[in-house]
Amino acid sequence: MNNHGTTTITGGNDASVFERQQERMKWQQEQSFLIVNDHQLPNIMLSSMQPFQGLVGNIKPDPGMENGWPNFSNGCDDQFPPLMADQNTSKNSSLVSLSPKKRKACENLKLKEVSKEKEDKDKKIKGCSEVISTENSSKGKSKVTEIKKQDFIHVRARRGQATDSHSLAERVRREKISERMKYLQELVPGCNKITGKAGMLDEIINYVQSLQKQVEFLSMKLAALHPRLDIDIDNLITKEMFEVSTLGYSSEMENSTYFHLNSLLEMGNNQIDMMLRKSIGGPVSIPETFVVSSNCYNQMQPSVKWDAELQNPYRMEFQQESSALPYQPQKITGFYEGSNLKMEM
Amino acid sequence: MHSASSIKQKFLKKWIMGLQLCNSSKKNMTIMERRKAIKLSADLALASVRNYTTRWSRALVASASQNDDNQALLQHIIGSDAAKHKKASINVVANSTTSVAKKIASKKILKRSWGIRRVRKLSNGALKDPPYSIAKRLVKKRTQLLKNLVPGGESMDAISLIEETLDYMVWLRAQVDVMRSLARASERLDGK
Repeated sequence: MNNHGTTTITGGNDASVFERQQERMKWQQEQSFLIVNDHQLPNIMLSSMQPFQGLVGNIKPDPGMENGWPNFSNGCDDQFPPLMADQNTSKNSSLVSLSPKKRKACENLKLKEVSKEKEDKDKKIKGCSEVISTENSSKGKSKVTEIKKQDFIHVRARRGQATDSHSLAERVRREKISERMKYLQELVPGCNKITGKAGMLDEIINYVQSLQKQVEFLSMKLAALHPRLDIDIDNLITKEMFEVSTLGYSSEMENSTYFHLNSLLEMGNNQIDMMLRKSIGGPVSIPETFVVSSNCYNQMQPSVKWDAELQNPYRMEFQQESSALPYQPQKITGFYEGSNLKMEM
Repeated sequence: MHSASSIKQKFLKKWIMGLQLCNSSKKNMTIMERRKAIKLSADLALASVRNYTTRWSRALVASASQNDDNQALLQHIIGSDAAKHKKASINVVANSTTSVAKKIASKKILKRSWGIRRVRKLSNGALKDPPYSIAKRLVKKRTQLLKNLVPGGESMDAISLIEETLDYMVWLRAQVDVMRSLARASERLDGK
């Protein structure tokens, strides 16, 4: 069985192969140990620049090692263990820091190896990697250094548990980030078509910057309008209803500008509710105050429709601001709300 | 539905309260001073309405408290919440710039050590994949930009940064809406 192995390996020198062979004998009892073992074989090949397909052809796996070969993909996954059934996308995201050779290697094996209880094996990897690292240290440093010369990535795998949990954590972290980017995509207007972190981040930055600039601009405008900073809020509310009525949407149809203001504020409301509703399952920092009111309301708002509605009134708002259209007389529909505010104050 | 507009009302109320305080304290402010006061009151009102549960709201308050001139305003808007949010007020103090700077410095040291390790290991040229490294650089640059934009974002890691941005965006939007409607209403009133 092992002769089979020695005769076909051409990459390393004999001494190292022999040592490895001995190791292999020892480890063949435990299936999971073969993971690390099999790292050695193809990695040597890789470093010696043989095409990977040739590698598979050269080294005919002996029956004892049969388990080892399928495990290689798991071993490959040892560095980037897949946690979910969705292999491809996660694989793509996780293989980013590998060299192209190694990436191809992993992907090739991936094609061969269909998901074979990977999660169990991952757990075994986790459990056994500790053992592997202790074994490694007991064997002395010569082996490690030797392998270091041949393939650095291998050493990283050998570091054991640290690497494992590190790569696992990396994966979890990446998935969290992409999940939250999706929320952001819905919030920021006009981000449906943009994929990829950099573009999305760009849009988000633009959006936040524009909002902050609007705040600045509006505060300047208010400062100009009120020479003495005495904003007579009661007067404002009674004369010009600017507080939104959340009901009675249709009654404002007659006045298009007001409608747009309302719809914009409405969208703002929806937005906040929807957003907070979604994120309730996630981070703790999102306030719980919205939970009560948002149940009945948000499920019915499809995000696509919301998005379209949002963009149109939003843009028209801008246009109106810039062109300074004269406003038509308002219908005081939200007087109820206004009077509420009055009573509060 | 109702909650969102009530949030806006609360914000408006606090904001106006702050403005009235400013008005009573100083007479004959220049336009710049007025603008600053308006913006400051708006920011503090926003933070207080958010109940200081988010990092950005606390950071807003912390940065405002750096400036001694704002003490009265702070006391007025935030002081009433202190009883309710004792924890939050402690956090506000804790979020002062010195501790933030320390956090940033320690994170940088950690990152540098990771980076050195990586460079040594991957010196075989694993990083020579141009499209990937360019993308990574872009993303890093932009996250840095975003950190500068979101208040208190400097000492956050990527995940919490995105969460904070989400939250901040929504509430900032609400702030803009209220300010805009107030400005429009004032304009209309003055126009007549």
